[in-house]
Amino acid sequence: MKKYILNSFVAAAILFTAACKPEIETPAGTTAGQANFSKYIAVGNSLTSGFADGGLYLEGQKVAYPNLIAAKMATVGGGSFTSPFFTDAQANGSGYVALTALVNGTPTLTPVTDKLAYIDAAKHLAKYTTEIQNLGIPGMRVDLSFDPSLTFSAANPYFERLLTDAQVGKTNYFQYIQGRNHTFFSLWLGNNDVLGYALNGAVTVNGDPTTVLTDKVTFSSLYANLVNALSAGGQKGIVGTIPDVTAIPYFNTVTVAALLNAAKAINPAAAAIYIQTGTGAVRAATAEDLIRLPFQTAGLFGQGAIPYGLHPLNPITSNWVLDKDEVIKVKDYVNSYNSSIKSLATSKGLAIADTYTYFNQVKVGMNIQGIGINSAFISGGAFSLDGIHLTPRGNAVIANVFIDAINAKYGSTIPTVDITQYRGVKFPDTK
Amino acid sequence: MKKILLSALLSAPLWVLGQGFQVNLQGQKQIGMAGAGSALALDEASVFYNPGAVTFLEKNSVSAGVNPLLFKSAFKQSGSNITENVKNKVAPPFEFYAVWGPKSNKWKLGLGVYTPFGGLVDWGDNWSGKYALTSLNLKAIYFQPTLSVKITDRIGIGAGFVYNHGDVNLQRALPVNYPDGRSGHVTLDGTGKGYGWNAGLYIKTLSNISFALVHKSKVITKLDGGTADFQVPGSLTSSFPAGNTFNAELPLPATTSLGVGIPLSKSTVLAFDASWVQWHIYQDLSFDYATNTPSLADTKSARNYRDGSSFKLGINHRASEKLALRAGVGYAFSPVQDGYVTPEAPDADRYILSAGLGYTPTSHFEVNASFFFEDVKSRKQKNLETGLDGTFKTLVYAPGLSLTYKW
Repeated sequence: MKKYILNSFVAAAILFTAACKPEIETPAGTTAGQANFSKYIAVGNSLTSGFADGGLYLEGQKVAYPNLIAAKMATVGGGSFTSPFFTDAQANGSGYVALTALVNGTPTLTPVTDKLAYIDAAKHLAKYTTEIQNLGIPGMRVDLSFDPSLTFSAANPYFERLLTDAQVGKTNYFQYIQGRNHTFFSLWLGNNDVLGYALNGAVTVNGDPTTVLTDKVTFSSLYANLVNALSAGGQKGIVGTIPDVTAIPYFNTVTVAALLNAAKAINPAAAAIYIQTGTGAVRAATAEDLIRLPFQTAGLFGQGAIPYGLHPLNPITSNWVLDKDEVIKVKDYVNSYNSSIKSLATSKGLAIADTYTYFNQVKVGMNIQGIGINSAFISGGAFSLDGIHLTPRGNAVIANVFIDAINAKYGSTIPTVDITQYRGVKFPDTK
Repeated sequence: MKKILLSALLSAPLWVLGQGFQVNLQGQKQIGMAGAGSALALDEASVFYNPGAVTFLEKNSVSAGVNPLLFKSAFKQSGSNITENVKNKVAPPFEFYAVWGPKSNKWKLGLGVYTPFGGLVDWGDNWSGKYALTSLNLKAIYFQPTLSVKITDRIGIGAGFVYNHGDVNLQRALPVNYPDGRSGHVTLDGTGKGYGWNAGLYIKTLSNISFALVHKSKVITKLDGGTADFQVPGSLTSSFPAGNTFNAELPLPATTSLGVGIPLSKSTVLAFDASWVQWHIYQDLSFDYATNTPSLADTKSARNYRDGSSFKLGINHRASEKLALRAGVGYAFSPVQDGYVTPEAPDADRYILSAGLGYTPTSHFEVNASFFFEDVKSRKQKNLETGLDGTFKTLVYAPGLSLTYKW
């Protein structure tokens, strides 16, 4: 009897300890809901293509938010998802910039120039013309998707790369994305319709369609055409709103205050930074005027007999500055585009990834899964070294914004992406 | 102008002590009864459970026991379909007691060395909560010399002085990446000490129903000069200087217990304990680094613990002269409020189940075994500070064995 009790006691103890693992039951990954993810296509611009650090390269392509979404769709009926990846031998694609030193907090950015994918002196990229589902093209815009001259397909190297020689110069993006027998789509396009203008200091360069600010009514009607074409077969999908382009590090790193502090360090008498506004007027800059990130390394500031930017007679020229009136104008266009996007999506019953609202939260700063994320340059973790495009971590965060919106709209349970598996900016491992 | 401050990159690592760190394993007999027994003069473990009962022990004795504890915790990020588990690591809570007093005298001396708080959680270096915590190894060892005195034939009081030796090793990943993509890492390692006391009252009524009132004081454990080892990419070493140290404070809470012992028959006794664990002392956690940089500031994190409590019911049945059987059930309320749950102690209300047996081959020698099981309820949480968002579920298994020599 005693022995029996003792033995069963020991046996039970061993069994319990070995076998009983805690279980957590959740519905994630069980259903596609009302959607069909068997063939997903992603329509968009550089953000969709995985562009980062000022270039398109393999590491960025692999973690583009559509690719992260597609991988997670696999558990709820998603099919394969092909992207125009650069080969390993040409992994650095167009080239990009890397952070190679941090001297007293000052970043040194160095171009990466090996393993590029250029095939000629005219900088054509190695072709990828077989069928793909990540259709994101850096530089693509809503207005240029309908480029009537069809010349943008030759002028944009990232678009040209995806076209056969017979197609180059003979198609536009609107035509290119059709006829793909997709069952689900994402459409995150329109940033460049305002960003191209803003990145040039709100100066439209004559003859350069990428610096045009797309008319609001034109945007709305062209966007409707895109949505109609993509959902022509009754496909479900998701559209993304356009982030406030004035919230990105590109416009918030070289601040007027930082410039003034730098000037005062050399000449304590420095009292103001002078800018030329969009109207041609010259005035002292305020905190509401935004200076473009590349000004940091342009080598202009304080130069010359009349120190550049520090005297009304030699102000920072308009193309470096998004002055406060231009900021208002750009914000107004973004809001208008977004209200078009949202009303079109709502009328079509599509999901909406409100990246506008999300990036505004990122700007304030947030903690996700133990990671502090904000829109500070380099240290913020979400934006890559160009101050515009996303890091792998930023892509993972945005992928979840899309996934959450898709799940909420269609009752699907696409699992979310574990953002902790994706890096922010790479810091050099040298002192 | 070009200065970039790497601020807000890193909030300091966090410590959280929950019910999960209160180790309810201080005597094999009581463990077998779910931790009840403060109102029973069962054995030398009364040094811990109720110093007032020690003087009622019939014999002098020494005992030593161990309860290898397996803390099996799982986590699933909100929206994810991946469940992650802690690694199987066995923590060794132990207890040593000695009780001595002249026969038929009114007093006894006792010594207890035991581990009332501790935690061993290793989630691995690449789990989805790695930026909140990768591993924690916390040990608090209490040394408690005790005096117990009979006031009357039915009332005893006792008190002990508590010295705590604490060891902490806490690690987490830092969200800064090396060129190969891997994350930074920080290890905080420190040793501390603290002082407190443990006092109890034992009353045996004429009906042989016994009562206990026990208070174990808080023990504020100070860690001075712990090492803070930051592994970060070389370009960030000026922000996280090598050889840094930290000071911190570990508040281990007071516990007040009320116990009742009810003899059901000559061979069977029922024990009930209600405990009030005064975690409210844990309002915030502060880290004071010896060297601060713009990226590494001292921190003060809100914890806002409320008091916890537990209710335990156990039964001890003497099946024969040599064999005793025990069982117990219990329930404990977590002190961790919503928004403050962390992977260090993924705490929630819990059920306790236990069983035990004792074997006494001779009048001098005794072997006791126990099995202790806790089912910590599943809890979906988004931590207010780290944003770690998901569901925790924990099961605790602790088999135990002790040897006693009596004379």
